[in-house]
Amino acid sequence: MAKDDDYDYLFKIVLIGDSGVGKSNLLSRFTRDEFNLESKSTIGVEFATKSVPVNGKTIKAQIWDTAGQERYRAITSAYYRGAVGALLVYDISKRQSFENIDRWLKELRDHADPNIVILLVGNKADLKHLRAVTQDEAASFAEQQGLACIETSALDSMNVETAFHRILSEIYNLMSKKTLSDRPEPSRPGGMRGAPIRVDEENTRPPPARSSGGCCR
Amino acid sequence: MWSDPSAGRSASLAAPPSSSAQAASGPTPGTSDPGPSSSSSSGPPKKPLVKLQRFGACFAKEAVDLNELRELLWSGVPDEADPSVRAKAWQLMLGYLPVHVERQVTGLSKKRREYRELVKDYFERSPEMRSDNENQILRQIRVDIPRTNPGFKFFGDAVMHGIMERTLFIWALRNPASGYVQGINDLITPFLVVFLASYLNKRDEDLHELEISEVPSEVLEHIEADAYWCLSKMLADIQDHYTFGQPGIQRMVLRLKEIVKRIDEALYDHLTNNGLEFLQFSFRWMNCFLMREFPMRCVIRLWDTYIAEQASGFSNFHVYVCAVFLVYWAPQLKMMDFQQMMLFMQKFPTEQWRPQQIETLLAEAYVLKSLFHSSPKHLS
Repeated sequence: MAKDDDYDYLFKIVLIGDSGVGKSNLLSRFTRDEFNLESKSTIGVEFATKSVPVNGKTIKAQIWDTAGQERYRAITSAYYRGAVGALLVYDISKRQSFENIDRWLKELRDHADPNIVILLVGNKADLKHLRAVTQDEAASFAEQQGLACIETSALDSMNVETAFHRILSEIYNLMSKKTLSDRPEPSRPGGMRGAPIRVDEENTRPPPARSSGGCCR
Repeated sequence: MWSDPSAGRSASLAAPPSSSAQAASGPTPGTSDPGPSSSSSSGPPKKPLVKLQRFGACFAKEAVDLNELRELLWSGVPDEADPSVRAKAWQLMLGYLPVHVERQVTGLSKKRREYRELVKDYFERSPEMRSDNENQILRQIRVDIPRTNPGFKFFGDAVMHGIMERTLFIWALRNPASGYVQGINDLITPFLVVFLASYLNKRDEDLHELEISEVPSEVLEHIEADAYWCLSKMLADIQDHYTFGQPGIQRMVLRLKEIVKRIDEALYDHLTNNGLEFLQFSFRWMNCFLMREFPMRCVIRLWDTYIAEQASGFSNFHVYVCAVFLVYWAPQLKMMDFQQMMLFMQKFPTEQWRPQQIETLLAEAYVLKSLFHSSPKHLS
């Protein structure tokens, strides 16, 4: 069994959001290019990794997919420890899952590192005819909260790579800045190997990423 | 002494459990405990026909002797048995079917009538009458039902979805301390499969292509009611597995950790040195009783024993089964790092497992349990 240790940085990311919004399929689409319409509910947590190039470095994303049901939060919140990024997922065809985003943000505030990078993800964007949350609405909510946002479809792959890539680059940029400000001399990247990077400097979160037309567009 | 339970096992898992289990058993199993020894120890080879006759004789008595049935069911319903044997044994052990034969018919029809009333009271009310909480429960159940897929086509059928929706919703409303928790949808499926097999007089293996539309609606009504009551009986003993914080499950995970540390310290050290927490991989084992790890035929065999163990099967004994299951993979796990272990344990290569392999686990778990119970200091 080969160990894929060939990376510069390891970032721990959590996938959170209501039950049934497609967290597990986002993960399987990103890490294995698979989608399963009948995938079973996640009990506890599941785990996958993928290495991607960011700014010439290889970033290994260690992604923890959590169960969405409220009852599990006592257990899943333990998995926020050490996470430097969170994909906060809702289903664009389920209004309720968007309305619950507030509660998930609170959950992160209570249990995660205060500087965790959060990306708001409106999944199931292929269900256009069932849309219950507009892009504008999501964009303005994200702006209010100081989050970046994006719409994805795990079913047809739309933006899945982009979403993960975006959060990983943002974490990387944040970390590079911090490394620069902490240590005048560039540190050996190898020194970071194998451990999740903590991005804990106050107020370093950059304004939400604005690609063409802002969030979600 | 239970020194190296994994020794030589990878080659012999398909073989009967007796050899390694017997060799390792210091203390003698308690006399009142039925155990693997009754079916698989020294003496003549397993005779399914003899066992079938014993089941038959047990059911034919005026009042079924549950101790006798317990012993029979513990070591599994033989493949050759009429499909109704398992359904009946489960229902008797769970306290659903009356032990007095003369009361069985009236007893069942009374419970089925009661269930119909519950459906009226809890489910058929106008949706406007439902509280926010009830709507939320129903929403969660409806998210989970279409993805409850224990490998049978009929679980994708709308009629079956209706059955699951009603049973799970009513159970959740009548058990507000836990309510519906994801995974309970998995737990009702063995009952549905076993009871369907019984009614249709088919082996559960032959139900894979079943069209639910071919099943008379009256039969479906009975199965629904029976499954509801049996699920309720089963969950009644393990309520705190699904209440806030899931203390019952946390306790089992902790106990698993202790047991593994005692029986295979090298594996325990390997797991912990790699930063693996028991909760990370065994939470699901406890929440769904290894249903996500095994094919249905194996789950059903496992449940023969758990149901026979009565109150302790789904809590205490299950932990020993998990310990044996984990240690079984020790040779592979010890070669892996954190990531490889996590991925491996999310998808064990168990799709092709047969009930015989479950019997091996059960036999070893039984020995382990006897060992720990006879000398509790093992754990201190």
